[in-house]
Amino acid sequence: MSRFFNSLRDGVGFDLILVGAALLFLLALAGLPLVYNVLMSFQQVDMFTLGTLIRPWAGFSNYVAVVQQPEFWLVTKNTLIFVFASMGGQFILGFALAIFFAQKFPGASTIRGLFLVSWVMPGLVVGAIWSWILAGDFGVLNTVLKAVGLIDGTVFWKSDPAFSIWAVVIANIWLGLAFNMLLLSVGLAAIPRDLYEAAELDGANAFQRFWTITLPMMRSTIGAVLSLGLIGTLQQFDLFPAITEGGPANTSTVAGYWSWQMSFQLYDFAKGATISVMMFLLVLFASIIYVRSTRHEVRG
Amino acid sequence: MTRPYVPWLLLALALVLAAFYLFPLYWMYVTSLKTGSEIFANPPTFWPLAPDPSIYPAVWARRTMATFLGNSLFIASGVTAITVIFGTGCAYVLARYRSVWVDVGLFLILMLQVLPASVMITPLFVGFNQIGLLNFPREAVILAAAAKSMPFFVVLVRATFMSVPRELEEAALVDGNSRIGAFFSIVLPLARNGILVCAILTFMGSFGEYIYSKSIIQDPGLQPASVGLSGFLGPNSSDWNSIMAYSAIYVTPILAVFVLLQRRIVSGLTSGALK
Repeated sequence: MSRFFNSLRDGVGFDLILVGAALLFLLALAGLPLVYNVLMSFQQVDMFTLGTLIRPWAGFSNYVAVVQQPEFWLVTKNTLIFVFASMGGQFILGFALAIFFAQKFPGASTIRGLFLVSWVMPGLVVGAIWSWILAGDFGVLNTVLKAVGLIDGTVFWKSDPAFSIWAVVIANIWLGLAFNMLLLSVGLAAIPRDLYEAAELDGANAFQRFWTITLPMMRSTIGAVLSLGLIGTLQQFDLFPAITEGGPANTSTVAGYWSWQMSFQLYDFAKGATISVMMFLLVLFASIIYVRSTRHEVRG
Repeated sequence: MTRPYVPWLLLALALVLAAFYLFPLYWMYVTSLKTGSEIFANPPTFWPLAPDPSIYPAVWARRTMATFLGNSLFIASGVTAITVIFGTGCAYVLARYRSVWVDVGLFLILMLQVLPASVMITPLFVGFNQIGLLNFPREAVILAAAAKSMPFFVVLVRATFMSVPRELEEAALVDGNSRIGAFFSIVLPLARNGILVCAILTFMGSFGEYIYSKSIIQDPGLQPASVGLSGFLGPNSSDWNSIMAYSAIYVTPILAVFVLLQRRIVSGLTSGALK
């Protein structure tokens, strides 16, 4: 018995408790719900059977029902637009800013740090601010775009079915841009300076240096940033209720928000769970890329 | 340097970019100071003609912001406490050893980090309902949100522990310290700054928590400020100076803390697991 307590104080038991407590907590509140979610997607669930664990088995009927929803393909298309446009915007602008702030000038790191305020802001507040900037008649974005001559009429970003998903994309790019920039800055800083100096002596121009040194050296960082971008975009929720509420006519609904609407507005918990399982498969795919690209870090 | 003016040009460009990027924040503060009619002026004024801060106390009282912010504070403190208590030890062990099991643990944690909240919320709601935890909705939100923020915390703090020289801890063990003693008197103090930065990040993140609170907490007296804000948002909202005043009251403390600690937060992030 005393050996047992000694191990807790002094041996491997100490480590096991520390890591075990956290893992148990995570398994109970993230692992278990995940399994439960998959289970629920194969069951018939309604308000009356919500409180029971054993429910009638439904097979794949929930999946069939979700695919047969009239808005299914629209939501799929929106999700793809949202994910790829957001990732593209965040990555390209983030990379450009990271390269810019990697130059040597006074205050570079301080000003770069200020960009990160977007990252710590509550998503709902970011949504509220952009909702106002993007407002059709009185929004400042339309005024600015008209002033520089990019548009003639008024663009109803939030209520025009052709633009509503882009309204959320714009807000999401703003929200995630700084984090992309930070990660890419870290990757840039890790490239040895003398590689560039050598290339410059050999007469390589800026574009050639970027293409033959920067990009190859940052391959793993770029992989991690892109997959984190994919994961983060699929996790985005707060902007939707704040800007468009998925409207008009579902033209800005994405998988995550749709799943939540099913469960918590229509009380169709089985369909909500089913949509989220489908979405999880996408996240799983992104995570595999992410884990692969951070493998050197994991092995530490 | 043949062109000494280049750095200053870059600095000017950087300031322009920052001003451009931070414009939404500026617009929030400016809008909150405008009168009801000036908001709908066309073209909009970029500087309020008659700045009127009286909307702040009005919104504070009318939207019962004291209650909302109190609840946000409660939830964020709870999430941070649970995350730090469970996450620190876990990160320490994962940093100390190198084995297959550590790889497995890290992989598990990375996987849990990527779960979208909208995937988790339905099963959590049903599960909490079954064990009766929905009667304590704020505590239920704390548990759910802590599980969401812990993986990120563990990955970052693990990197901090990796930078603590192992020799110091081994020396303490040779000197007769127990593992617990060495952990608390040597390792923890050395990693304190990194843990603190990550704890502040966790706090900031959960201060804005929305989806779990919105789905789980029905009683307005227990809802956090994010849910309170959503109450007057939507595609047809028009009360913009109130919304912006509410947002400003909500985020100014976070922004102030962030700007004060900006250097530490950025260096804490960049030195760590994000590599």
